[in-house]
Amino acid sequence: MPAIECRGLSKYYGDVRGIEDVSFAVEDGEVFGFLGPNGAGKTTAIRTLLGFLSPTNGGATLLGHDATDPVESRRARERIGYLPGDPGLDRDRTAGAFLDHQAALRGESSRDRLVERFGLDESRRVGDLSRGNRQKVALVAAFIHDPDLLLLDEPTSGLDPLLQEEFASLVRERVDDGASVLLSSHVLGEVAALCDRVGVLREGHLVAVESVAELRSRGGKQVRVRVAEDVERGDFERRGIMNLRVGETVSFTWTGEYDALIDLLSGYTVRDLDVVDAPLEEAFMTFYDGDVPGPVGGERQRSEGTTPAETPADSTAASGGDTR
Amino acid sequence: MSDRATPWLAIARYDAAGRARGSLVLTGLLSAFLLLFLAFFPSLATADVDLDAYVEAFPPALREAFGIIAISSIEGFLAVEFYQFAWLLLVGLYLAYLAGGTIAGDVASGRMDLTLSAPVARRDVVIGRFLGLVPLVVLLNVALPVVAYVGVLAVGETIAVGRLLAVHALAVPYHLTCVGLGLAVSTLVSRPGVAQRVALGALFALFMFESLVANTEFSAAADLSPTAHYDPSAVLVLGEYDLAGAATLTAAAAVLVALAVVRFRLADLSG
Repeated sequence: MPAIECRGLSKYYGDVRGIEDVSFAVEDGEVFGFLGPNGAGKTTAIRTLLGFLSPTNGGATLLGHDATDPVESRRARERIGYLPGDPGLDRDRTAGAFLDHQAALRGESSRDRLVERFGLDESRRVGDLSRGNRQKVALVAAFIHDPDLLLLDEPTSGLDPLLQEEFASLVRERVDDGASVLLSSHVLGEVAALCDRVGVLREGHLVAVESVAELRSRGGKQVRVRVAEDVERGDFERRGIMNLRVGETVSFTWTGEYDALIDLLSGYTVRDLDVVDAPLEEAFMTFYDGDVPGPVGGERQRSEGTTPAETPADSTAASGGDTR
Repeated sequence: MSDRATPWLAIARYDAAGRARGSLVLTGLLSAFLLLFLAFFPSLATADVDLDAYVEAFPPALREAFGIIAISSIEGFLAVEFYQFAWLLLVGLYLAYLAGGTIAGDVASGRMDLTLSAPVARRDVVIGRFLGLVPLVVLLNVALPVVAYVGVLAVGETIAVGRLLAVHALAVPYHLTCVGLGLAVSTLVSRPGVAQRVALGALFALFMFESLVANTEFSAAADLSPTAHYDPSAVLVLGEYDLAGAATLTAAAAVLVALAVVRFRLADLSG
């Protein structure tokens, strides 16, 4: 039984699309990442799964319970931990009072352990805490009852790197104990570090589901080469080459086989050569560049000068709506 | 999972605890207000003017609005100067305003997301938020009769204790109806600030409506207003206890809470 099964889930706000026809499954014990820019529908998907929004179409199960049925959903929520992107905490109550309340609603098998682990001072008013410490309070609330399924919406926004690391190990420990996780983020590194598989959301559509390993291989290699000869841009414009820059050194992203690269370079006197894994961002950007391309498919747009940095921003603008 | 509490009770308790300080401050302020008016009474009572004749000259609508029957006795004085104004109007409006901010405020701030991600039914949230305001209603109606009694003695007067207790006992269903009205509005209007003002405005409009139509051929329509079913002056001055009114108000409060539950169950949390 998958921890989450989403079947053709759609949510419209009037005429505005939140998500459309989203289908995926999070297997038992899996960490699944929702990746996409702001406005892509990540939050809408999670809030629809939790029953805060009623779907326009489609359905979902959480831990085997029908997420669209209030009674069934409540049963599932006994074993769910949720961390919203911007947790609504009562600023004028103490952290302790808030956690008392959360414990009363959810149970508190791990409360003391978590409070100690994050070094929380429960006597302080939530409003007096720093943003990072407020996020800690919300984290404790999400994990307080040792949930079997965690829905984490942009969990590390506002956390410093040390705390991000602590958060990551907390997630891994829960997963080792058998929990499943759905985590949304627009930060690739975070997703790559924690997730087994990634679903890429764009303008409300789930455009791809891939393992992190696949996503990495999609990124190809970053090649920087300096040759003795004078080179023209046209010499390197061929299949498998993206993000081409020709100057003192020639740099590009190579998405083909090594042999073909060696063949290409054998025609020159190579003075210097540097081949490294392309950052995951490169692979990610391919999803925001028209249709979902294969390693070569993105070439046309790339050579027309679309820079990776522009592309997701355009997607955000085009999605035209609040994530919620 | 046996360490979980009953959700509506947990929500009510948390809500009430968060209001504890505010409730005490409000009780203190209203007590001070009451004592201030009581301090005026001796000089008023000994003054060489016929106050009852004076208020008799008021237009009927004004007398109706402020429940003015007689003002020269301590009961009449308290009814006009304090209960008609502070208890019926001020506290009623404030409770509607507070309740107006509950559900809408939680949804807008994202607090509702956290609450409903726990195994909590939406019905539990509405009922919990309603019950969370009950301690304030009870505190006001338990503390103020004591303050009023002591205050009356302090200015050298006496007051019918039964009537004083009754004016507060009968205020409870009225105040709960005000809370119910605010709660229902809070599930209908998504912006908390607007919900608060709509709740307050609705109650005030109903009060005005009741006052205006009371002595006309449409007087039956005045029954629509909660304020028509709680008359502090009749209780204090005439000793008339409107138990049917109290029952009507209790039923109205229940209907308003039920309405809020039905409405909130269907709502998308706009977030």
